[in-house]
Amino acid sequence: MDGARARPIWAFLTGPYALFLLFLLLVPFANVAMYSLHTYSPTKVFLPELTFDNYRKIFDLYYVRLFARTLRLGLITTAACVVLGYPLAYFLARARPRVQALGLFLLVMPLMVSAVIRIFGWIVILGRKGLVNQTLVALGLEPVKLLYNETAVVIGLVNIFVPFMVLPIMASIERVPPNLEEAAQNLGANWYRMFWRVILPLSVPGLISGCLLVYSLSISAFVTPALMGNARERMAGQQIYDEVLVSFNWPSASSLALTLVLLTVALMFGALFATRHASRRETAR
Amino acid sequence: MRPSIELEVRELTKQYSPQVSVGPISFEVHEGEFFSLLGPSGCGKTTTLRCIAGFEALSEGSIRLHGERLDDRPPHRRDVGLVFQNYALFPHLTVFDNVAFGLRLRRLGKTEIADRVGRVLQLVDLAGMSARLPAQLSGGQQQRVAIARSLVLEPRIMMFDEPLSNLDFKLRIQMREDLRNLQRRLGKTSIYVTHDQTEALALSDRIAVLSHGRIEQIGTPSEIYERPASAFVAEFIGSSNMLRARIVEQVAGGTIVITEAGLRLCCSGEPNGKLNDSADVSVLLRPECVHVAAPDGTAMPGQNRVSARIVDVTYLGEDLHLSLDLASGDRLRASVKNATATRGWAAAQPVEIVIEAADLRLLHR
Repeated sequence: MDGARARPIWAFLTGPYALFLLFLLLVPFANVAMYSLHTYSPTKVFLPELTFDNYRKIFDLYYVRLFARTLRLGLITTAACVVLGYPLAYFLARARPRVQALGLFLLVMPLMVSAVIRIFGWIVILGRKGLVNQTLVALGLEPVKLLYNETAVVIGLVNIFVPFMVLPIMASIERVPPNLEEAAQNLGANWYRMFWRVILPLSVPGLISGCLLVYSLSISAFVTPALMGNARERMAGQQIYDEVLVSFNWPSASSLALTLVLLTVALMFGALFATRHASRRETAR
Repeated sequence: MRPSIELEVRELTKQYSPQVSVGPISFEVHEGEFFSLLGPSGCGKTTTLRCIAGFEALSEGSIRLHGERLDDRPPHRRDVGLVFQNYALFPHLTVFDNVAFGLRLRRLGKTEIADRVGRVLQLVDLAGMSARLPAQLSGGQQQRVAIARSLVLEPRIMMFDEPLSNLDFKLRIQMREDLRNLQRRLGKTSIYVTHDQTEALALSDRIAVLSHGRIEQIGTPSEIYERPASAFVAEFIGSSNMLRARIVEQVAGGTIVITEAGLRLCCSGEPNGKLNDSADVSVLLRPECVHVAAPDGTAMPGQNRVSARIVDVTYLGEDLHLSLDLASGDRLRASVKNATATRGWAAAQPVEIVIEAADLRLLHR
C-alpha cells in the first residue's frame, strides 16, 4: 500500500455491512419508533397526531401480564438451559478433541433443522395421541395435556436454546487449566468442593453470556410460542405479530416492540456490567 | 541409625497401552530426605509423581506412606503436597485465599487460618503480598505462593514437578538455593522431578535416574556422577566421552583395553561390576579429566599419554571446550579452565593429552 496516502482501510472493511445495517435495520427501526408515537386509526394505519398513549397502554393489566409472562417464561427457559447445559458444557470442555468435535456436532445439529419441522416433531411426541401419552395409556395411566400450554413452550424453547448456553460456558471452562482441578484435589478438596470453589467461579463470565443469549432470545421468541403455546397465554412476540397482521394496530405493535427491545438492551448492559465486575479480579494486571 | 522409610514405592507399573508403559519402578524415600527423579522427557518421572499424588491409577504395584497403603486412597486424602510446574494457582483468589484454600477445606477457625497463612507467607518471604492476585506477581513469587499453599497443610511429603523450569536462568539458581535451604530448615521429606541434571545434583540427597520407564541407578549425586551404572547414566549426567573398546588384559596397574580405532589405554577406575577378559565395554572419560599438555613429555606411571591435534576451540569465558583428534583416530572432547596457558590454543595445533588411568571407568555395553 502507498504509505504516503494511507486510505481509510476500515471504511472498506466495515462499509458494506454498515450500509446494510443502516438501510435494513436502522431505517426500519426509526420508522417503528415513529409509528409508536402516533395515534392509531382503524382505516389509515396511523394519524399524524403525536401521542404517548401507545406506551401508557402498556401499563394496562393485560399488557403488564403479557410482559410478566414473557419475562417469566424467559427466566424458566434460561434456568432450564443452565441446569441441562452446564454439565454438558463441562463434559465437552474436558473431553478428548474427537469426542468434543462429535459432541459439538450433535449439539448444534438441531439448529440446522427448520423451526417448523422441529416443532412438528415435538407435536408428534407431546400431542394428545403422541408418543408420551400413548406410553402412559399403555401403562394404564391417564393421558396428560402436554401441548399448547406454557410447559410446551418452555420445552420447545429449551430445545433450541441449550446450545447457546453450552457454547459460552464451555469456552470459559476450557480456559481453566485442568491442573487447577488437580491442585484443588491435592489440597484436600473432593470433586464437588473443587467444583464449587474453582470451576464455577472461574466460569461465571461464560455463564453470564450464556444466560444473556438464551434470555434475550427467549423473550423475543415467536414461532415456538405461536405453534406450541395457546393464544390466551401468549408471549410478547405473538401479541406484536397479531397487532401487526391481525388488528393492524401498527402504533401499538411498535410500542410493544420497542419496549421489548429496551428490556433486552437494559438486560444486556446489566449483564455486561456484572461480567466486567466478575472478571475484574481476574484481569487485574 | 538408619533413617526410617517415609515413602515406599514397590513395583509401580502404569500400562498406558500394550506398547506404552512405565515401570516396574521401586524406590524408597527416607524421612527428611531430598529425593529426585531425574530423566529425559517421557522417562516416566512425572507419571510416577502423578501416581503418588493419586491422579493416575497404578496398573500394578503399591505405594506406602509410613507403611500405610496410599494407592487406594482418592487424591484429596493423600496428605502429599504437590507443587505444579505451572504453579496452578487459583487466578480468582488472592495470595492469602490461595494459601488458605486447604485450611478452609479442613474447617479450621478464622484466627488459626490467619495465623498459619501469615506464618507460612513469612517463611517464603511473601509477608506483604497477601492481598495480591496471582496475576500481579512475578514468576518467582507465584512459585513461592504455590510452595506456601502446600506447605501450610504440613503434608507428610512435599513433591515438586519441575518447579523451576518456567523461571529465567538467574532466578532459577536463586530459587534452587532458597528451595534447598527451606527443605533443610524444615526437614521435610521431598520428592523432586526434573530433567535438569544440574538441578538434581545441586539439590538432592539421592537421585533416581530414569530412562524408558525404568530406574537406571539410584545414588547420591557424587555416586551418580562418578560411578554411573550404565552408559545411559554416564551420558545423561554431565557430558562425557564414550569410547567403544575391548578388554585385552589385566595388569597390576589396571585393565588394558584397545578402542575400536586402535588406541591402547590403561584403565584403573572402579569398574561397574565384574568384567571378563575380551569383553566389549565402553570407556567413560569426563571432558574435565582430559588434560592438555605440551608435546614431548613422558608418561608417569598410572597415566596415559597420547598425541593429538586440536580440531576446534569453543570459548565460553570461564571454560574452553576443545575438540581433539587423537593419532588413533578417536575424537575426544575436553573441558579446560581458561588460563594464561590456554590463550594461544587454536585449531590444527598439535598437543599431547594426559589421562589418568583412575579417571577411566569401564561400563558394560
